[in-house]
Amino acid sequence: MTDPDGIVVEGLRHWFHQAGTGQRVLAIDRLDFRIAPREMVAIVGQTGCGKSTFLNLLIGLERPSEGRVAVGGRTPYGDFAWFRGRVAAVFQQDRLLPWRTALDNVRLGLELLGRPADEQRRVALEWLERLGLAGFAGAYPHELSGGMRQRVALARAFAIRPLLLLADEAFGHLDEVTAAALRATFLELARTGGSTAVFVTHQLEEAIEMGDRILVFGKPARLLADVRVRAWGAEGLGALRARIQAMLQANEPDPGLTTEEPRR
Amino acid sequence: MARPGSPFVGETVEALEARTPVRFPREMVVSLLVLAAAWQAASLFAPPFVVPSLPRIGRALAGLRLDFVLVTLLRVAAALAASFVIGVGVAMAMYASGAVERYGRPLVRLLMAVPVVCWILFAVLWFKGVEFRIAFVLVVVCAPVFVVDILDGMKGVSKDLRDMLRSFRPTRVQLFTKLVLPATVPVILTSWKINLSLAIRVVTIAELVGAVSGIGYGLVVAQELFSVADVFAWTVVLVAILFVAEAAVGRAEARLLRWRV
Repeated sequence: MTDPDGIVVEGLRHWFHQAGTGQRVLAIDRLDFRIAPREMVAIVGQTGCGKSTFLNLLIGLERPSEGRVAVGGRTPYGDFAWFRGRVAAVFQQDRLLPWRTALDNVRLGLELLGRPADEQRRVALEWLERLGLAGFAGAYPHELSGGMRQRVALARAFAIRPLLLLADEAFGHLDEVTAAALRATFLELARTGGSTAVFVTHQLEEAIEMGDRILVFGKPARLLADVRVRAWGAEGLGALRARIQAMLQANEPDPGLTTEEPRR
Repeated sequence: MARPGSPFVGETVEALEARTPVRFPREMVVSLLVLAAAWQAASLFAPPFVVPSLPRIGRALAGLRLDFVLVTLLRVAAALAASFVIGVGVAMAMYASGAVERYGRPLVRLLMAVPVVCWILFAVLWFKGVEFRIAFVLVVVCAPVFVVDILDGMKGVSKDLRDMLRSFRPTRVQLFTKLVLPATVPVILTSWKINLSLAIRVVTIAELVGAVSGIGYGLVVAQELFSVADVFAWTVVLVAILFVAEAAVGRAEARLLRWRV
């Protein structure tokens, strides 16, 4: 990140208006936390707990109702244009543009940044190759499997070398073998690229596997726990898993997990 | 996985286009031949002024004025081009501004509710020049169809895709050219097909009033001369024009929408 403070979330609350009834629904109750540059943070919570809403606020697609989200001292919604080329997202569905080939989908971000055409093509081909899709540059999305399409979406995100990489249930709908391979690729590329990565998931296993740190969200979104996974060691992961599961079911914080050092 | 032997994998679009064959429209040809045979059989039992035989219609076809066909085609092409430009412009303005849409939509709906014959009468009452009258009627009938279709197409662009693109921080122009416009192409092509059919039917009626050239005028002359074969011959020409135009749009559709499943 350009600011050593990384991501700052302060007093964040957010409501949305339900379609049809217009009723105001609380999606984010209150969130306060910080994420350091180059941290790999998993956000885990029940389905519908406001994880994706939080990610949309972090991407800058929505304005927070209350409080503040800042990345490198800038707010993603207010300083929308400043994040051009600095943020990229991978979503649950691949969201490829169906009229573009795999190559043209990967070069999309570079095109928007106004990079020269030959650079766009070269970089896009490199990323396709890194993600094992070298022979599929000319394929349209409907010609590819779900896993291949998601790899194209990953390549599209990585191609602009973002400082902030966001993933919203990006591997949840894939079969386990494909998902595991893509998770490994995602982690490797995010680490080597020096990006700060925030990924949202409802799968605890995925959060433990991918995150250096896990933020456990209650429903509606509030911080139930902030856990440094490595501090638990390989032998402690079973206990950690059980406690997070119990916490998610109770929708209440576990005081033993709210500090950085584990209390077993 | 990608289908084995997929024509898309690793190929350029140009190479793919070059290999895409033009499919022979067998079913259409068979249907038309059956209709022609039934027509010919009916002509053996009905008087020629009711059902003229195919050879009679053929002779009438050979005698038709080709310049009338060209004039009608030019009128349709010019009016559709103008309607499309107006339609895209108005749709974009409505898309860009909620207020323009809220005030503009009722007017567009009003234009669409007025029958063609009323527009023809208005044109005769309001304008002197024959060409302007015909162009006015065609544009006022076709442009609203383009406006409504294109606007609905633009507004129908998936929110997921819009959010994906916005995460890259495009400019407004980029959002339009990289997402909204390509996503609206299928709707634009469908709208062209609807308007081609509409314009060819409307231009004939418009040419009935005051024109001294074109297929509509040819039909008036045929009616005044009680030449039923000529009326049928002009009808065959109109239908053929529509078929060819639709085939051209279909070909463009196959080329532009090759990305569809």
